[in-house]
Amino acid sequence: MVTKKSRFDNPRSYTKGIPIVLWLLFLVVVPLIFTFAMSFYRSEGLVLEKSFNLENYKLFFTDSVYPRVLFKSFRMALGVSLLSIAMAYPIAYVASFKMVRGKNLLFMMCIIPLWVSYLVRIIAWRSILGNRGLINSALMIIGLIEEPLRIFLYNKFAIIVTLTYICIPFVFIPVYTSLEKIPRNILNAANDLGANEIHTFVNVVLPLSLPGLITGFIFSFIIALGDYIIPLQLGGTQGIMFGNLIWSQFGFAFNWPFGAALGFVLFIISVTILGLAAKFGSTEGGFLSE
Amino acid sequence: MSSAAGTRLEKRGVGLKLYALLIFIFLYLPLIVVIVFSFSPTKTIVGMSGVTTKWYKELMQDTELLKAVLHSFEVGISAVIIALLFGTSGAFFITKVRFPGKGVLRALVMLPFVLPGIIMGLTLLIFIKNIKIPLSMLTILMGHVSFTTPIVMFQVSARIQRMGPNFQHAAQDLGATPFKTFWYVTLPMIRTALIGAALLAFTVSFDEIVISYFLTGTWMTLPVYLYGMLRFGLSPKVYAVSALILVFSLSLILLMTRYIGRSAEEFKVRR
Repeated sequence: MVTKKSRFDNPRSYTKGIPIVLWLLFLVVVPLIFTFAMSFYRSEGLVLEKSFNLENYKLFFTDSVYPRVLFKSFRMALGVSLLSIAMAYPIAYVASFKMVRGKNLLFMMCIIPLWVSYLVRIIAWRSILGNRGLINSALMIIGLIEEPLRIFLYNKFAIIVTLTYICIPFVFIPVYTSLEKIPRNILNAANDLGANEIHTFVNVVLPLSLPGLITGFIFSFIIALGDYIIPLQLGGTQGIMFGNLIWSQFGFAFNWPFGAALGFVLFIISVTILGLAAKFGSTEGGFLSE
Repeated sequence: MSSAAGTRLEKRGVGLKLYALLIFIFLYLPLIVVIVFSFSPTKTIVGMSGVTTKWYKELMQDTELLKAVLHSFEVGISAVIIALLFGTSGAFFITKVRFPGKGVLRALVMLPFVLPGIIMGLTLLIFIKNIKIPLSMLTILMGHVSFTTPIVMFQVSARIQRMGPNFQHAAQDLGATPFKTFWYVTLPMIRTALIGAALLAFTVSFDEIVISYFLTGTWMTLPVYLYGMLRFGLSPKVYAVSALILVFSLSLILLMTRYIGRSAEEFKVRR
């Protein structure tokens, strides 16, 4: 029974796959198909004109607002990802190489914020950056300023800080996983050959951790690119991102077909980027496997 | 300080550890701020005169809020049960059965978890409008089943892959029926993975807003209700709700580490 010649099992055993395939069809594939179909419709006020036309995509490419906002969101996502790496990589490095005791504790401390309510973390940053928030209050107490500064909240800075905060664990986990996989005797070998820590890092550790780094980068990039709640809550007028454009089509703009088209554009971009992650990144992001 | 002393410090990683400490402050300060604010008698944290629990008492009077909490539990528990059924059977399918297109299936199942939530939200919204389901608990539940199922499936399939097929073969050689093999051998071996996955899925469901926001009518979960409260600005009541959610999430996470963390230890021993 164990030694089967065929590459695939008897199709009778495929019945096990029925539930997950049904789930996939009804909650992922069919909704995507409906969205794709709707992106060719037109919205006339409250009436949906179910015809095939490319108006929505034409509007996206000809009206310079939409590509411009998309480009702005790209730049912001890039900045957030780089900042997240700058913050997450060193702690992953410390956790993996510098800790003898308390290694697991440090690991847990880094991923706990990931599972703490997203909305609560947004509220927390509003309370730190706001007019009567922690930073302004502290600055007023030490006498640096008389009036609360309005530079912290409702701008790009606030969005970047909060998104970076959200993304750090998503970079930390794959980087830490790839650092842990590096055989320690390679580091000893580098050391024996006279390399100092910086040389070892640049020539050995960094290249070997690259798959995890790429995975982390791409995860945080996609999170930052698609988010709409953080720009709504902390961005003010400067903070209209691509996600907000999509969201508003289903809200007050009420143009579902156009929203579907914008959503599909984001879907194609995300899938392309995730495909790159699958190709160059580490196979297991470490979020879903144990 | 000479440069030689500087490099010696670097070797022990003092500079790096200091940097890591700063990042930890960055990670945990916001969480602490929320809890401290929730006990403040006034709206500001500085010049906080004394400690009050009156905001918490006020929460207990807010029937709409309590209803939202109840709804979150209803959706979370239902979503976890459904995800356990879909996810576990999917995990066995993907690890035990050899079939064409496995890589594609694996990638597609991942999608709801790795795509931006806004895409899942809007595709599901368009779908349910097309098949004429009104916005209700059912629609929110659909959203939650979409991202809890991959969580369960990948946790459980990782466990199945690690334990290998030998135990099942041994049971079958000793004459156990497939059902008995599953009940007495396989199920106990994946038990902690199931509990860990269920806790993780519930935690994510309990906090989810990005997808739910698209699928919510008047029947609201706690995060959606809290989001509505934000329209009137940050009030001490918002902080009190946030602090309670925070403490609840932290307890779930600590509980979760007993199951997910322990299996990670076993993994290290085996390697």
